[in-house]
Amino acid sequence: MTQDRWTSGDADLTNALRALYAAPVEENYWEALEARIIAHVARADERTVWWAELAEMARPGLVAAAALILAASLALVHSRQLEVRSAYAGVISPAAPSVEPAARAASVGDGDAAIHFLISR
Amino acid sequence: MLATSSPLLSYAAPLPAEGVISERAIVIAAQGGSNDAFSALVRMHQRRAYAIVRAIVLSHEDTEDAVQEGFLHAHRALDRFRPDQPFGAWLYRIMANAALDLVRRRKVRLAEELSETVPMPFRDPAESGELRERLQQALTHLTDRQRAVIVMHDVEGFTHGEIGRTLGIPEGTARSDLHHARAALRRLLQNLRSTS
Repeated sequence: MTQDRWTSGDADLTNALRALYAAPVEENYWEALEARIIAHVARADERTVWWAELAEMARPGLVAAAALILAASLALVHSRQLEVRSAYAGVISPAAPSVEPAARAASVGDGDAAIHFLISR
Repeated sequence: MLATSSPLLSYAAPLPAEGVISERAIVIAAQGGSNDAFSALVRMHQRRAYAIVRAIVLSHEDTEDAVQEGFLHAHRALDRFRPDQPFGAWLYRIMANAALDLVRRRKVRLAEELSETVPMPFRDPAESGELRERLQQALTHLTDRQRAVIVMHDVEGFTHGEIGRTLGIPEGTARSDLHHARAALRRLLQNLRSTS
């Protein structure tokens, strides 16, 4: 007897293996399995189609979002430029007389007048 | 009557009754998008696919999952199949890979998870029950490939060459795996067999 040959004494093991691994014999089982396989394939196709449609819908959305970001960036740059120009113009143009120094000058004038009035007496 | 369960797959051409046309024609129709043709291929090959996958995984439930995955892979790869090749060999290789993938994912399954629905053709229920239980335990001690080889050879009647092609291993390796699987089963079941 060689190690890789089943002998007649191994027939019970072979039979046990065959019984253990026996496929179902009912025709209904195979019809149901076929239906499950086809449904499984169809579901997977459905997911694939759904993702493809989503990807197609997402493409114009991404383009629109990119355009929006570009427009916002341009608006921001333009606004910064305006701010810089305004600040520069503020530095180089003559400043308008402010109210506070004028009032202070006026009040100093009144004080002087009062001193002059007291001295003159 | 051919099944028409998927609305997503187109019906490229009407399919003649099974048996009238060759498998090659059915494969070509399936490659053209015919759901009927793909259903026919499933019907023609699901039993053999089940047997191959069952030899690799440890439970009936896992077998069904792997068979479904295998057919899904085959459906997705159908346009890459050359119809002049034997479709069965191509499909069964995909099935074996799907089964091996599932085994890798789940790696260890306990013998208790094996289906209890398969009848045992033995006269003595007590003896057959013990043999069955011990055999289940012994099979978990084999490598996935050894278990696949011994089941494909001794249960399904595959030749060493067919086993090698299906599992993607040399024929000599299939022979060697069979030898080691048998030796391991003899060793593991020695006590039981000497007392029975």
